[in-house]
Amino acid sequence: MRTRLGVRRVLAAIVAAAASGTALADPQIVLQWQTANLTESQYEPIWRKTIAEFEAAHPGIKIEPVLVARKDHWTKFVAAAQARKAPCIVSVDLTTAAYNGYLMPLDTYWNAEPASFRKAWSEDMLKAMRWKGRLYGLPIWGGTYAEIYNRDLVTKAGLDPSKPPKTFDDYMTWAKKLTGDDHWATAVLGGKTDTTTRVLLTWIWANGGEAFNADMTEATFAKNPKSLAAIKAYLSLAKNGLAAPAPTTTNYLEQTNLYAQAKIATMRNAYWAIAKVVGDNPSMNGKSFVAPIPANVPNAPTLATVTASSISASCTHPEEAWKFIKFDADRKWSIERAKVANWMPLRNDLADDPAIKSDPMLEQFVKIGQNARSYPLPHPLWADIASNDIVDAVQKALLAPDKTDDIFRELDTKLTKKLKDI
Amino acid sequence: MPRRYGYFFLAPVVLFLGAVIVLPLAHAFWTSLHRVRGLSTTFVGLANYVRALTDDAFWHSLGVSVVFTASSVALHLVLGLALALLLDQLRFARTAMRIAFLTPWMVAPAVGATIWLWLLEPQFGVVNWLLRAVHVVNAPVAWLGEPGTALGAVIGVDVWRGVPFVMLLMLAGLQTIPAEQYEAAAMDGAGAWQRFRHVTWPNLRYLTVVATTLDVINTIRHYDIIGVMTAGGPAGATETLPVLLYNTAFRANRFGDAAAVGVLLLLVVLAFAAVYVKVARLDRIERT
Repeated sequence: MRTRLGVRRVLAAIVAAAASGTALADPQIVLQWQTANLTESQYEPIWRKTIAEFEAAHPGIKIEPVLVARKDHWTKFVAAAQARKAPCIVSVDLTTAAYNGYLMPLDTYWNAEPASFRKAWSEDMLKAMRWKGRLYGLPIWGGTYAEIYNRDLVTKAGLDPSKPPKTFDDYMTWAKKLTGDDHWATAVLGGKTDTTTRVLLTWIWANGGEAFNADMTEATFAKNPKSLAAIKAYLSLAKNGLAAPAPTTTNYLEQTNLYAQAKIATMRNAYWAIAKVVGDNPSMNGKSFVAPIPANVPNAPTLATVTASSISASCTHPEEAWKFIKFDADRKWSIERAKVANWMPLRNDLADDPAIKSDPMLEQFVKIGQNARSYPLPHPLWADIASNDIVDAVQKALLAPDKTDDIFRELDTKLTKKLKDI
Repeated sequence: MPRRYGYFFLAPVVLFLGAVIVLPLAHAFWTSLHRVRGLSTTFVGLANYVRALTDDAFWHSLGVSVVFTASSVALHLVLGLALALLLDQLRFARTAMRIAFLTPWMVAPAVGATIWLWLLEPQFGVVNWLLRAVHVVNAPVAWLGEPGTALGAVIGVDVWRGVPFVMLLMLAGLQTIPAEQYEAAAMDGAGAWQRFRHVTWPNLRYLTVVATTLDVINTIRHYDIIGVMTAGGPAGATETLPVLLYNTAFRANRFGDAAAVGVLLLLVVLAFAAVYVKVARLDRIERT
């Protein structure tokens, strides 16, 4: 009897093992996911949770995050896309990537969604997601650029935090007072990433200038006198010792490090920079305040980045990738990203959400962002222009301030030729 | 055994070399004849070569490459030889010292470059902190932010990385010099300098030419240190040909232009390889 029971148990175990073996052998779809932000500590808890919940809800799909440093994000994507091995889900410069054939149009999936889902994004927002009339991305989060100040340093310099600078002149006056031995008013960005270009554009627009003509066939950095004046004003901060040394190597990471260590009193950036600063130095929590970018013209727009999730052209499981993008674009994650990583939601249905309204600083950024231009600029060569040509010109002008006019005149000529070469 | 069997035995090597060397080179050359925009390509003949050779950026990068390579190789040789002589004289802890000096060579260049990037960081870097502590400088120096210091810094880091290789070659050469030659020189009353000039140096001359040629080939196509530390900046001050190639391909997305730069760089490297082959052949003839 005992022996028969033993045999049955063994048989049952074999059957169970075979069944579980069959389950293990079930093909599981693995989707790679690459954005420039997965390596940012303030975002990590959210994306881990997003993946865990998505995988629990979709047992046949596994999401594999591709961790890549921000500055290598684009080059790694291009290399993989050229090899037709790009991660399925990516967040990249949409126009450039679509023009190069690296992305898959999403219209089929988008049009199959109910109207209630599609209504969550404004038509203006979706316009930035299109190239030649086809949709290539779903807006996930954004960031409005504003001026962020260290309240303690402002007060210590005898300045009133409730009356931040409104014009360039006001800003220069503050900058002088905020600069001292071994600490500076701000950081001029000249490092080799497109953050350098983002900040430069905010200065140009704040002075009523334009970097390009309306259809982006001509560059006007030097041609437009207001643009050139704004560039000179901005770069003069470095020349006059009001900005931290080594601007040609300063990027987002260096800028936020300097701010976190109270080496600079103000930084021009989006809300996420505050989360990064607090992550670097928790004692900075609650010590920042935000104000609109000082401008010399009324209603000057600021810059608002739009980060979209797209599906790469080489993705073999686009339907599953779309499921993840939809999941990630949900209200729940938009709110989590806003609360934890300080990334602004782009959905219409969240503007009045109590969770968003309960964060006064986020509300302030949302208010400033009501008059913002969308970034990246919609040109197929933008990734190259923004992170190479414009940055090179800024670096040259920082190294030879007296030649700023010539440097940006040369940039205009070079870019105007390049803009047409598509 | 029929002669054709020989080809059969050679086939695996030929296939392997074809797959890992000939095919990629042929593909690079094919790419250099096309205008590549993402996944679409158009045949343009030699237009990419014409553009590269008429572009100031190419000649500027070639100039930077020459300065970077000449400075690095010269310092590799001088310091490598000095360290080899020092190690050759040591009578204790020889192995430990040899391993210690070899460490920079064992570290992956990108890892070493990242370490130096932080050491040279203007605000929080150890180098500036030390220099300020001993009052050599009184304000942070932007080592990688100014053209002169940036090029100096990447050359310095390359020297740190490249000296051990030359040191190892020279040490091997020193150990092949017969002791009798030194004994004879000593009996003739030769001092340390004379022994070096008339015994050591003549024995190392061939090895020096080989080391120089190999080091030039290795350094002129080096990317990692500059790619990590400056990406060619500021304002192109450290943009050597390999960095220009990388920036053109992966940042500017112009693979055809980048491939043309790559082929031109290959020609430069091949020229030095030809020198190496010639020197090696001359040595063989002398020995026979």
